[in-house]
Amino acid sequence: MTTTPIDRPPAPRRPAAWRAWLGARWRGLVLPAAAILAWWALARLGWVSTPLLVSPGTVLDTAASQIVSGQLWRALSASLARELTGFAIGTVLGLALGALLGLLPLFNRIVGPSFNTFKQISLFAWIPLISVWFGLGDVAKVTFLSLAALVPVVVNTCDGIRNTPATLLEVARVFGYTRWQTLLHVVLPSAAPSIFTGVYLALIYSWLATIGAEYLLVAGHGIGNTLIEGSEHFRMDLVIFGMFVIGLVGWSMNALARALERRLARHRLGAA
Amino acid sequence: MTTILGKELSIRGVGKRYARPGDGDGAQALQVLQDIDLDVPAGRFVSIVGASGCGKSTLLRLILGLDDDYSGQILLDGEPVRGAGLDRGIVFQDHRLFPWLNVERNIAAGLRNAPLSKAEKQELVAEHVALVGLQGFEKSFPHQISGGMAQRVAIARGLVNRPRVLLLDEPLGALDALTRSRLQNELQRIWEKERITMILVTHDVEEAVFLGDRVVVMQPRPGRIRRIVDIDLPHPRNRSDPRFIRLRDDVLGDFLDPDGRIADEERLPPPGALPATVGALPALDRLRMAW
Amino acid sequence: MAENTLSVPATAAPARRGAGPHAFLRNAGGRLLPWLLPLALLALWQLGASRGWISPQVLPSPHFVWLTLQDLYTSGDLWLNVHASLQRVLVGYAVGSALGLALGAAMGLWRPLEAYLLPTFNALVQIPVLAWLPFVLLLVGIGEPLKYILIAKAALVPVTLNTLQGFRQTPVALLEVARVYGYTRRQQVLEVVLPHALPTLFTGLRLGFTKAWLSLVVVELVASSEGLGYLIVYGRQLFQLDLVMAAVIVVGAIGYAIDKLLDLAETRVSGSQAATRLGVAGAGARV
Repeated sequence: MTTTPIDRPPAPRRPAAWRAWLGARWRGLVLPAAAILAWWALARLGWVSTPLLVSPGTVLDTAASQIVSGQLWRALSASLARELTGFAIGTVLGLALGALLGLLPLFNRIVGPSFNTFKQISLFAWIPLISVWFGLGDVAKVTFLSLAALVPVVVNTCDGIRNTPATLLEVARVFGYTRWQTLLHVVLPSAAPSIFTGVYLALIYSWLATIGAEYLLVAGHGIGNTLIEGSEHFRMDLVIFGMFVIGLVGWSMNALARALERRLARHRLGAA
Repeated sequence: MTTILGKELSIRGVGKRYARPGDGDGAQALQVLQDIDLDVPAGRFVSIVGASGCGKSTLLRLILGLDDDYSGQILLDGEPVRGAGLDRGIVFQDHRLFPWLNVERNIAAGLRNAPLSKAEKQELVAEHVALVGLQGFEKSFPHQISGGMAQRVAIARGLVNRPRVLLLDEPLGALDALTRSRLQNELQRIWEKERITMILVTHDVEEAVFLGDRVVVMQPRPGRIRRIVDIDLPHPRNRSDPRFIRLRDDVLGDFLDPDGRIADEERLPPPGALPATVGALPALDRLRMAW
Repeated sequence: MAENTLSVPATAAPARRGAGPHAFLRNAGGRLLPWLLPLALLALWQLGASRGWISPQVLPSPHFVWLTLQDLYTSGDLWLNVHASLQRVLVGYAVGSALGLALGAAMGLWRPLEAYLLPTFNALVQIPVLAWLPFVLLLVGIGEPLKYILIAKAALVPVTLNTLQGFRQTPVALLEVARVYGYTRRQQVLEVVLPHALPTLFTGLRLGFTKAWLSLVVVELVASSEGLGYLIVYGRQLFQLDLVMAAVIVVGAIGYAIDKLLDLAETRVSGSQAATRLGVAGAGARV
């Protein structure tokens, strides 16, 4: 019969998962916590008096009312719908154009330099022209967003295709792969990580473009419009709330894309 | 009694030139291969050994059909070689496995254009996984296995189409010495089993003599055959056999000065000029490589 | 990286070469190809405008745009607005990148500082420059400080992140060598960490400028009374699309020119390091 030695202390209970998480990251929370505290104190103590200094409480109230009244949902869904539409269109067109540029050297020589020049010019500079041709509403916005999404997809797709290692192409040749087989079974898988990066960037860029589009093409509804409204009516609480929502959406897109990337990259960790 | 499955390879008067751009009419052309005459009987293992720049890899590419700009003839069982074909396989020095496919899919990738049913292909793949001793690793990815294992997968892929001729372009050059030794034994075992024609290019003299029935010594600038040494030893070979050592030193002699030092290429002694034993042999571990 | 086509690249020129005139034509043709598309579009545009297929309200003829450009130049309006824009971008960029370098270096050299600051920094980065605009607008009004602050923010982000990465990326191998030779911390930083980080730093500075220039245009589109962005908006409101296009061309040209300059400078800075950098992957296949 075995006896538990008395001199050994009992095994420690595993700390709750959240406590472990907090333990690792508490330092990052110090600054924001201190800032919010200072902000709240300033608002409370009334040392600075301006209608612009809203207390955190007010912001929370505004947030609650926006959520409850459904305004947040309306604005956000309008923005997201436009963004995803533009993203989808831009990605599909971008994949096609990028593939053409990557696979056809002649096409690349003719169209490539023009495209490179085009992508250097700030996309926003095209908005006024777009507004003349397509008005100020959703069509103009989605056109703009498609352009924003198109650029990174084209660049990354073309690069991914052109960077297929010549060594692997030779293997395909040795095994008698037809052009189509080489494309499908060697070029495409090799270019996949690059293409994915392009699509990921397209999502981010089209989100950034969404906000801008709402500022400049003011007809319609969206989270950007909420911000503008806030600033026009001197409602700092609305502005701060809007900023927070925008940051949150951007962050979740990033997190989603990163998680997807990790999933897909599991096969290729450490591959040359 | 093993049936010989290989094909016979005849190389007649093959030469290859690269023109250097920007010069006059080929005055500065680089003669990579010159007057290569070689007969490889069916089912034999031939090693080609030589220093860098002697054109041995180029010769393989010509045999493989990746390049058809050369003078002379390359015949496989009497038929001239035209373009790449599944009857000739190759193992490269860098394994060139597709990083996005696991081991068995990589081997199967060689079968994409083979006129076989799905079941037959699966069976072939399993057979070849077993042939190179990688059972249990079928689902692993290239980045998860060692260099030696990856090279074994490349060998399996090279053999999966049951080619009549297997070309090996310095397949073990990127591996450490221990793995190299092990894989040399593996290659010997596989060849004894499959009995197809194998042509190995290497700069390791001992490897060439260990594996080959015939050793072709090449020298560079221009790339040509210096001499051909027949290795009349039984398989499996024994590295400690004095006959093996003598033959190895004989071939190695082509790369050494009369003093036993590694020769400067310009001052190579004429073929066979040295007796098989050269006075006091330098330490054995110094004589592994021809540079 | 070497260009790859779907056929295996030949390792050398074929033994037969084209005779003189053929080669010349092929080379000349090759150099002209990039101009084919833009010239064709330009011709089409001019044709459409002069034939009246497109109304000048929708798309003025290239000739008209060119005249407008000349007008802007001679009247001094061009310089006025370019000057305003350049000034903003340079001030904002200088402030933003200086801060970015300092912040990135500080976080890079002291891990505890990074632990405190980086999460907040990352959170604020999620909010794009344009989303900051109303907030900053309410705080400082619509004048120059607004532009400076926003452009500084735009430049700050890539500069900080790249600086941080540059300082972090020093290979342990090199640091160990320094330690073996008894380098003090200060010497390690100045003589190993910093030189190694320079190319990455420079990449960050270059990226920062690109972002700054982009943000400048957007901010001027939304909230300014002079500058290139303002010209665009002004032209748009008056339906003078020639003005709009002229301004867009100038924006593109300036952005391109400065980017090229920075590109040259970057090659100078990283060129000497590229060959011996640890961890730089060797190119493709062994011959």
